[in-house]
Amino acid sequence: MIPLLLRLSAGIDAINRMVGRSCIWLILASILISAGNAWTRKLFDASSNAWLEIQWYLFAAAFLGAAGYTLLVNEHVRIDALSQRFSARARAWVDLLAFLVLVLPFCGLLIYLGHELFWRAWVSGEMSHNAGGLIRWPVYLALPVGFVLLFLQVVSEIIKRGAWLAGHRTRSQDSEADLPPLRIGGAAPQEGGR
Amino acid sequence: MMEWIMANMAPIMFASLALFLISGIPVAFALASCGLLFAFIGIELDMLPPSLMQALPLRVLGIMANETLLAIPFFTFMGLVLQRSGMAEDLLETVGQVFGAMRGGLALAVVVVGSLLAATTGVVAASIIAMGLISMPIMLRYGYDRRVASGVITAAGSLAQVVPPSLVLIVMADQLGRSVGEMYAGALLPALMLIGAYAALVIVLAILFPKMLPALPPEALIYKEPDGGSGLRSLALLALVSVGAGWLALRFYPLVLQAVDRNVDAPKDELVMVALAGGVLFAFLAALVDSVTRLGLLSTIARRVAFVLIPPLLLIFLVLGTIFVGIATPTEGGAMGAVGALVLAVVRRRLDINQCMDALLATTKLSTFVMFILLGATVFSLTFQAVDGNLWVEHLFDQLPGGSTGFLIAVTAMVFILGFFLDFFEIAFILLPLLAPIADKLGIDLIWFGVLIGINLQTSFLTPPFGFALFYLRSVAPAEDYVDAESGKTIARVTTGQIYAGAVPFIAIQVVLLGLIIAFPQLVIGDRAFEQKIKLAPGVITDRMRNLQPGGGYKAPEMDMDALFGTPPGTAPAPEAAPAMPPEPAPAEKR
Repeated sequence: MIPLLLRLSAGIDAINRMVGRSCIWLILASILISAGNAWTRKLFDASSNAWLEIQWYLFAAAFLGAAGYTLLVNEHVRIDALSQRFSARARAWVDLLAFLVLVLPFCGLLIYLGHELFWRAWVSGEMSHNAGGLIRWPVYLALPVGFVLLFLQVVSEIIKRGAWLAGHRTRSQDSEADLPPLRIGGAAPQEGGR
Repeated sequence: MMEWIMANMAPIMFASLALFLISGIPVAFALASCGLLFAFIGIELDMLPPSLMQALPLRVLGIMANETLLAIPFFTFMGLVLQRSGMAEDLLETVGQVFGAMRGGLALAVVVVGSLLAATTGVVAASIIAMGLISMPIMLRYGYDRRVASGVITAAGSLAQVVPPSLVLIVMADQLGRSVGEMYAGALLPALMLIGAYAALVIVLAILFPKMLPALPPEALIYKEPDGGSGLRSLALLALVSVGAGWLALRFYPLVLQAVDRNVDAPKDELVMVALAGGVLFAFLAALVDSVTRLGLLSTIARRVAFVLIPPLLLIFLVLGTIFVGIATPTEGGAMGAVGALVLAVVRRRLDINQCMDALLATTKLSTFVMFILLGATVFSLTFQAVDGNLWVEHLFDQLPGGSTGFLIAVTAMVFILGFFLDFFEIAFILLPLLAPIADKLGIDLIWFGVLIGINLQTSFLTPPFGFALFYLRSVAPAEDYVDAESGKTIARVTTGQIYAGAVPFIAIQVVLLGLIIAFPQLVIGDRAFEQKIKLAPGVITDRMRNLQPGGGYKAPEMDMDALFGTPPGTAPAPEAAPAMPPEPAPAEKR
């Protein structure tokens, strides 16, 4: 049972690593487009609502898409003034319980609400109210998709904490340093993490 | 029992949030799950309508479509690129060499560099760590008093809370519902006063206690002319000529404005920006020409200063200038700054593709956790308002004596203490939305309020024993005695007590400045040059309108999403309203 769960967790981690690390290009595109918008408006007197809207489409997709990855590398900030005095086991228990009882329902709710939002926009073909604006469903889709990824990662983290508490894993959670570094070509040795 | 719970839902919810937060689960999830849990309880007790959470998707959309918050990744990326391309190191070395020959020079260099880093990178941890690793050993080697050395590093390194165009001010403006431009304009003078006061303290100390802040010995000055001179005269000359160039830029600026059909008097802050940018640009071009043609008119150190100090200055002017002049929204200003930083780093061959990807990844993760705290705070506030939590908070402050002064004192104390445990983003997203409406109702100017909170937080970060800035320095300052590689001398460790003691005079400066700002709000509000520009100068707006017309297709701003779906409290007004317009004009229209 536990090896199976750990394989599930490793699979989820791999998916979120891939998706999260792809999101960096959305951020870069958003930066370049935003800077470009300012220049073209000033230099060529041209302005397009589509180009203005794509900025926040890209950013929204990036931060929702990377939410699972950020959890994977444990970089959603915590207030650790008190909890750093707990034992490592106590911290793992707190995470495990909170993730299971509180965070999973939250993700579930947003998946449900987000999918409704997306579905309505998809069926109605809702467009931006701005002239020349973009169609809405792609950015609405980012909401349920992002929360599905986060939901999966929460599941994976629960498995990891549990497996560690039961003595089946050497680390209770991972950090960026445990993953293979992000390098061009991408194919750094898969198991070569420090 | 049930009645008691129902009557005290808001305080119970707030206490639960505190419990969730200190349990150490991620802040975003603590906020969201607390909101969700109490929504569930409220619905079960028939206190709240079952449809409560239906409002959530639209609030989340409001966050996704918020143009101001787009500035978060842009400014973060700009800061990270500058940081990873070694800007802090270059700046510290060069500025240290310029001032090093005089007493207290190294400490002054830290103040100057700290201000520049605060404005451009805005990351307190990074600034302090860089200065602690680079400047601290040099200051210790040449016999600086440890308290002075650590105090100046922690104080200058935590300036990011108040120096525009820092990200902190953008988020603050967004949460207070004010324009970023106003916030920048309001923070400018207090920030300059703080920097000035730090520098003055260093100079006074250097005069009174020469032994505590010794000058660098001649052998430590590395940029020498062939004839053995320091080359500082050449640098002074370049500076003088550049000031002249700035003055010329100021004189000819009205002609430029006429040429682009903006027949208005530019406001003061814009003029200051133009003069500074003109002078700095001239110095850079002069150094470039001198170096390309090998004329050799400038000394080594003058060229070095021009090439190291000026690029970050130009970036600041690019970002602040375009926003003040009205070319770009703060978001676009940040994007241009990010592109500028990228170009600088690539031109100087300081950044390869892998470092760039690392910077992007760090940006993505930071933006994600910040946006998720905001998301969580939205879920929390949805329920908290449904149980009349905002009334409860308001009522708490009602009972304070002293009206708006009492409120300000209470908030100051609260933010100061919370600053020990919470980072800026948590305070901005959880506390500001609760406090801002009360401040507004009491007739407190929100820009003034925001600047006060910024300086207050900085003070909090500096205050022993909990201040973050002190921890960051502690993590890099030598904790054991060590042998200095350069001089061969054994140098004693820096004790935590010395780091604490060093911060004290700077905290005193903070407190005095806070008092001054409370006593003289016009330091922040000033003559509201920024607002006046908008009121008196329709040129900016018509200019923008004209830009939009010819492309065809631009129609009058549509009704914004918030108006359609109800305004999410605490988020910026109208994310979608007229995206082609800069947000600056909004406050003028509001009044």
